[in-house]
Amino acid sequence: MHPASPFVRGWVALAAIGFFFGRDFFERMLQGRPVLEDDFAGRIPWLLAGGGTVLLIAVLGFILTWYFTRYQVAGGYVRVNTGFLFRQQRQARLDRVQAIDIVQPLLARIFGLAELKFEVADAGESAVRLAYLRMDEARQLRATILARAAGVVQDPARPEEAAPEAPEYPVLSVPPSRLVGSLLLSEQSFFVVLGGVASVILSAVTENRGFYFYLIPAALGLAATYWSSFNKGYNFTAAISPDGIRLRYGLLDTQAQTLPPGRIQALRVAQPPLWRIFGWYRIQVNVAGYGAAGSNGEAASRTTLLPVGKLADVMSMLSLVLPDPGTPEPGRVFGAGLSGLDSDGGFITTPRRARLLAPLGWRRNGFAATATALLIRSGRWWRQLVVVPHQRTQSIALHQGPLARRFGVVDLVLHTTAGPVSPRLIQAGTDEARTLFDEQSARARLARKRQTTEHWLAQVVPAAPVAEPVPELVAEPAAPVAVPAETPTEPANKEGQQHG
Amino acid sequence: MVKPQGKANMHTEAIDPPGISWQRVSPKYVTVRLVQWALGNIVMVLVLSLPLVFVTLGWWLWPPLWLAILVPSAALVLAVWRLVLIPRQVRAIGYAERDDDLLIRGGIFFQRTMVVPYGRMQYVDIGVGPVERGLGLCTLKLHTASPGTNAHIPGLPAAEGARLREQLSARGEARLAGL
Repeated sequence: MHPASPFVRGWVALAAIGFFFGRDFFERMLQGRPVLEDDFAGRIPWLLAGGGTVLLIAVLGFILTWYFTRYQVAGGYVRVNTGFLFRQQRQARLDRVQAIDIVQPLLARIFGLAELKFEVADAGESAVRLAYLRMDEARQLRATILARAAGVVQDPARPEEAAPEAPEYPVLSVPPSRLVGSLLLSEQSFFVVLGGVASVILSAVTENRGFYFYLIPAALGLAATYWSSFNKGYNFTAAISPDGIRLRYGLLDTQAQTLPPGRIQALRVAQPPLWRIFGWYRIQVNVAGYGAAGSNGEAASRTTLLPVGKLADVMSMLSLVLPDPGTPEPGRVFGAGLSGLDSDGGFITTPRRARLLAPLGWRRNGFAATATALLIRSGRWWRQLVVVPHQRTQSIALHQGPLARRFGVVDLVLHTTAGPVSPRLIQAGTDEARTLFDEQSARARLARKRQTTEHWLAQVVPAAPVAEPVPELVAEPAAPVAVPAETPTEPANKEGQQHG
Repeated sequence: MVKPQGKANMHTEAIDPPGISWQRVSPKYVTVRLVQWALGNIVMVLVLSLPLVFVTLGWWLWPPLWLAILVPSAALVLAVWRLVLIPRQVRAIGYAERDDDLLIRGGIFFQRTMVVPYGRMQYVDIGVGPVERGLGLCTLKLHTASPGTNAHIPGLPAAEGARLREQLSARGEARLAGL
């Protein structure tokens, strides 16, 4: 670990202490009072000594924590030792990696440090958090872990040789103007306008100006929400490398996520009604290590594959997640999933007899199965399309309540790992759903048999033509991981990208 | 596909895959459900009847008598309704072992049929409550990587539960898949 990491970690505590004393001092200056009162001044050495001791203990604690945190990557495992009173040794299998993130909070960025998070499928805490490493060290470690996890055989002659970083090719980026636009047209903006209009009307009717004061905290909260969305989504870029999909984003705190191939369990493309004006979409994913997106913004931003993008961006993202779409005309099928109605694109919708249950949505609620994934679409106004690769289905259930039985429809639920996407096919005809239930379990079984190993380089990947705009990227062979670094300029390039 | 089983066939509902012979859970499981029902519902009805007692004794003035009667009697009707349903609900629970997956069904009004592939199972639990132990029953729970998989088979005879657990573990190992 880098020696500065205890201070980067503990800066919040130090800042709080500084703020507390600083504010007191400042207020006294403003009020023209002596900085220290007389009877207080007598005790000052004791107080200073007490404060100093507390500070010293805190710093000592941070330093000890830092000193006793060690990590090692060897023999297919990553090991981390922490704690000095209560020792903990943790080891995680490299080929079980679900995702690797490099996070740089603002202060760490100033020091050129980064935190590395190693996720396995335990649906919660990061398995391994290494905070903080030097930036190039973190990237080196990420490359090593990913190379080992992918099954690259180490050169026995040089076991200390670190794996070179896989080359990457940018796929798309989100311009800040579009991000701002998407925030302005988001669902919450609608309610902001509604609330504003309502409060103006109310105050005009009651002639009570004091009413506006109650809006101040609400406005502050909203500003914070917008700011955090902007901060997280700023400068969003996606790239593809043999290691998987790389996502980078952030204004003050930057994050670089790496999702190895085949780690995405389910995906949802959604379009709120106002976004339809510009044809924007949002993509969210379930990844086993990220867990459920709670109320905290971090999980929400980590599970976002694309904060806002046009149709072409959506299609290229889909082609990265699903290199083999399993259908000869993916553009038509996925396009129909995004905006189609009725049976175009091969979708099977809610039968006409159940249109009373879903007067608007019955023409849109439907499913289509390609050879590699199941597509579930729903929502006439709040359009969404859920894609679940067949080999990622955990279990399937059919649900039918009394009302649904009366109309001869049934819901089909696919269970995937925890995350923002919960695939549920609503109100499919009983016969169609039952056929799908049977076929889907068979398809999932077949797909699982085809995928036999966790080492993705060793997998027999069906050489499928990629449909959408990035054929040259995905067609790039995965070989560069295996060759030693031939491009010494590579890290420098990345450095520029990272901080750019 | 389906292993021949010597047990009584149950009639299949509209949402069940065709051609499956379901295995039922032990009829003794009704007793377990009865105890659970009694613990929950009788206590609730008694608590809701307290205002009636107080009103009739003249200690309380507020809830009018009709309300004090209506609330516990509605609760009583609901409780009896649940009681009547219990045997049918227990009969509706079924499971079937296929070559590659386990099917579980349940429910009368809100029916659910679920398929859990053997290769997807992360671990298998067997739980035995005090009443179940007295009757020689157990509850089998399957866990996959998804929190949505709420697959449990209650009311299995202990021997059948142990057999199923071993069977599932063995088959899971044979068809092991990652995430």
